[in-house]
Amino acid sequence: MPRSADATLPHRPLRLAGGAAIALAIAALIGTLFWAILHAAAGQAATGPGVDLGDLIYITTLQAVLSTGLSLLAGVALAWALNRLRFHGRGLLIGLFASAIVTPGLVVAFGLLSVWGRAGWLGFAGVPIFGLGGVVAAHVLLDGAFAARILLARLDAIPAARLKTGQSLGLTPWTRFAVIDWPALRGTLPGLAAIIFLLAFTSFPIVLLLGGGPAVQTLEIAIYSAVRLDFNLGLAVQLALIQIALCAVIILASAALAPISASLDRPAEPRWRDAGWARAAQWLVLALALFGFASPLLATLLDGIAGLDSVLAQPAFWNAVWTSLWIGAVSALLTLALALLIATGRAAASSRLARVLLGAPAYAYLAVPAVTLSLGAFILVRDLGIGPVVAAPAVVVIANALLSLPFAMATLAPPVEAIARSRGRLIRSLNLGGWRQFAEIEWPLLARDAGLVVALGFCFSLGDLGVIALFGTQDFTTLPLLMVRALGAYRTHDAASIAALMLVLTIAAFVLLPRLIGRLADART
Amino acid sequence: MARAAAPSRTIYVNPRRMAATLKDTGMLRSASLALAAFLALTAAAVAADKPTLTIYTYDAFAADYGPGPGLKAGFEKMCGCTVDIVAADSSIGALRKVQLEGATTPADIVLGLDTSVAGEARATGLFAPHGLTLTGLSLPARWTDPDFVPVDFGYFAFVYDKTKVKVPPTSFEALIKEPASFKVVLEDPRSDTPGLGLVLWIKAAYGDRAPEIWAGLKPHIATMARSWSDAYGLFLKGEADMALSYTTSPAYHAIAENNPNYAYAEFTEGFYPQIEIAGVLKSSAHQELAKQFLGWLVTPEAQAVIPTTNWMYPVTALGDKLPAAFPAAPAKVLSLDENAITANKAAWIEEALAAIR
Repeated sequence: MPRSADATLPHRPLRLAGGAAIALAIAALIGTLFWAILHAAAGQAATGPGVDLGDLIYITTLQAVLSTGLSLLAGVALAWALNRLRFHGRGLLIGLFASAIVTPGLVVAFGLLSVWGRAGWLGFAGVPIFGLGGVVAAHVLLDGAFAARILLARLDAIPAARLKTGQSLGLTPWTRFAVIDWPALRGTLPGLAAIIFLLAFTSFPIVLLLGGGPAVQTLEIAIYSAVRLDFNLGLAVQLALIQIALCAVIILASAALAPISASLDRPAEPRWRDAGWARAAQWLVLALALFGFASPLLATLLDGIAGLDSVLAQPAFWNAVWTSLWIGAVSALLTLALALLIATGRAAASSRLARVLLGAPAYAYLAVPAVTLSLGAFILVRDLGIGPVVAAPAVVVIANALLSLPFAMATLAPPVEAIARSRGRLIRSLNLGGWRQFAEIEWPLLARDAGLVVALGFCFSLGDLGVIALFGTQDFTTLPLLMVRALGAYRTHDAASIAALMLVLTIAAFVLLPRLIGRLADART
Repeated sequence: MARAAAPSRTIYVNPRRMAATLKDTGMLRSASLALAAFLALTAAAVAADKPTLTIYTYDAFAADYGPGPGLKAGFEKMCGCTVDIVAADSSIGALRKVQLEGATTPADIVLGLDTSVAGEARATGLFAPHGLTLTGLSLPARWTDPDFVPVDFGYFAFVYDKTKVKVPPTSFEALIKEPASFKVVLEDPRSDTPGLGLVLWIKAAYGDRAPEIWAGLKPHIATMARSWSDAYGLFLKGEADMALSYTTSPAYHAIAENNPNYAYAEFTEGFYPQIEIAGVLKSSAHQELAKQFLGWLVTPEAQAVIPTTNWMYPVTALGDKLPAAFPAAPAKVLSLDENAITANKAAWIEEALAAIR
């Protein structure tokens, strides 16, 4: 059906224009950041130190490919198990799994060490945690569970009618996966793969923390060092462009390869259980995931108990909570708005090239090195003559929204496209306008995914202030910055408690927000 | 910071200079001058039109736990000015920020760079001579720097837990001879100052033999973290037997946590110091005030803030005001020539990284 469905796409020039405008704006922003840096670098002599690029690119790519492959594998297996199984605390567990990706990487890496490190719970096992293995493990931990959460949403949205037909045909568990699950998943996989690849490729603190020395590192350290240590802005831009070019290959490939998923429905209680070995395998996958993914997070929570009193008594903590909450809320809504605009614009495009062009800039932002972002933002805000104290919150909100945009796209784009394809004929025959199409057909079906996007955007914005690193706004403090400060002042207990509280907030957001928004949408219809 | 972005451009009235002027002029005119001065000072106080001294520093220095708030309060009591401490993410970040802002920077002072980047900072041509006569300092070496004033200092050292490591290594060569299971956690020299400090320490102690020492250390390196806090966090978690930190780190645990179990390993090669510095920018509109701050910074009053907030040694002897948990200075202190550091830093870093890659 999808192949012939293009002809039935409702004509939506406004949506196309909206999506194109956002995509252009993001591309222009990235371009402007680079232009600002090059402009500032104009007076500098362009001498580059001998960075061994070939080696760096090789090890960065190897690490990113391993991280991506294993994360997707773990994600598919876990989504498959979670889709089939029902048990008490399932909702909480799904929230826990999803929260990994938005928890600051360092927190997760330290949690991993609490379990697998030589002084950890399972330290006696002697698992070599430092080195390539440790870096990949941390990335799989961060990204695999997140992939599972996104993929689970696709499996849960398989129309009940299709399941009924499958059941009546007596499909084996394997055929069921191949015929019913796989088509629902494969539209989402390329986008997810691109995100995970980009995250792993640009990872920096985790790679240095667990890499075990300079043999395992990423291009980001070379870029960081070019900006900070050598103040060689020209070289930094060169390296950043190399990074973006390499990532662009992945982004374009994934955007071009992505098939359009066609199945979408509200989640239904499953009445079709796999039998025998498949069921056993699902429980096994769940047990492994619980052990592998949940234990480092659990360790983070337990590590946080010691310093709790001291942290809760600090006014600075409550200040940071407040700042984090409003920054998170504003950027979450911005993320959702941007993602809806791009996703609906993309779904209204009938040519593959247009869809690729509309989607790519959102991903490209993820490939821009963090230190380049902060440098570019600083120069840009300065050139515009805006005071940093005014600009800082706006820059953080925009940066965080753009950072979560690819994740929001991976979540929303496949269902939006599925609606456009599968309900296009209906929309045309009812002669619905663009707004009523959204309000009456799309929103009720998307609300839960939208809730997930809001949770993502919200939690991501608790995550990083790197973009305003140079702004010098120590009064503008969010929870992650407070944690880093405590860690920098020997206060490891305080830092552990802040990390644990952030994790609690994150899990709560992932459990509650999708339900809340889903319920709001249900109440209206 | 709005204050940083739009510094008050009022003309600064230096009380000391004003007093001197009053003494020099005849009695006849002194009354009117005194009145003018009085009016100027009151007006400044009333309209809160005081000059603002803007100091760029690194985050931990400015943080609530750090020395920033104490120094701000102390200097404001006597300067008739407002001190605005602006934190960048690192000291090198603060310098880069000033370089990007150029002559229009709102900063008057950059504080927190150290002696390993002093040469590079000087070469930017952004800093003015401090013009102060600095006497009575207590530093690893006599202070002759015309541009920068010392703020505090420490010695890089490997810190360990006495309950876990009974017999710590006594030199780099002894560390190399430990079994491979004996791990240290380091900082990356490209991203944090202690990491760079270790490169210089080994270079100062071993010269051309430095690559050999680095190669020997390789099996003992658990990891090279991005920052001191990551590295020290790994160490406290028990992931390594020793962490590259400072000789004064055990004092934190002894004083703030009442935990006497941490110590640093005495290395027979001697220790390499890190001296944090501050300098006045040529572009500052408050040259006198800025120099007054630097002069005050080395007084015992200001230095008393340092030990238990930044956990470094004060640059002026504090006598018994220095907590007893601070160890005596090491017997042997190493040093490198500033010009040699500036010229060879990149090559030395690459040499060290190549030896352990």
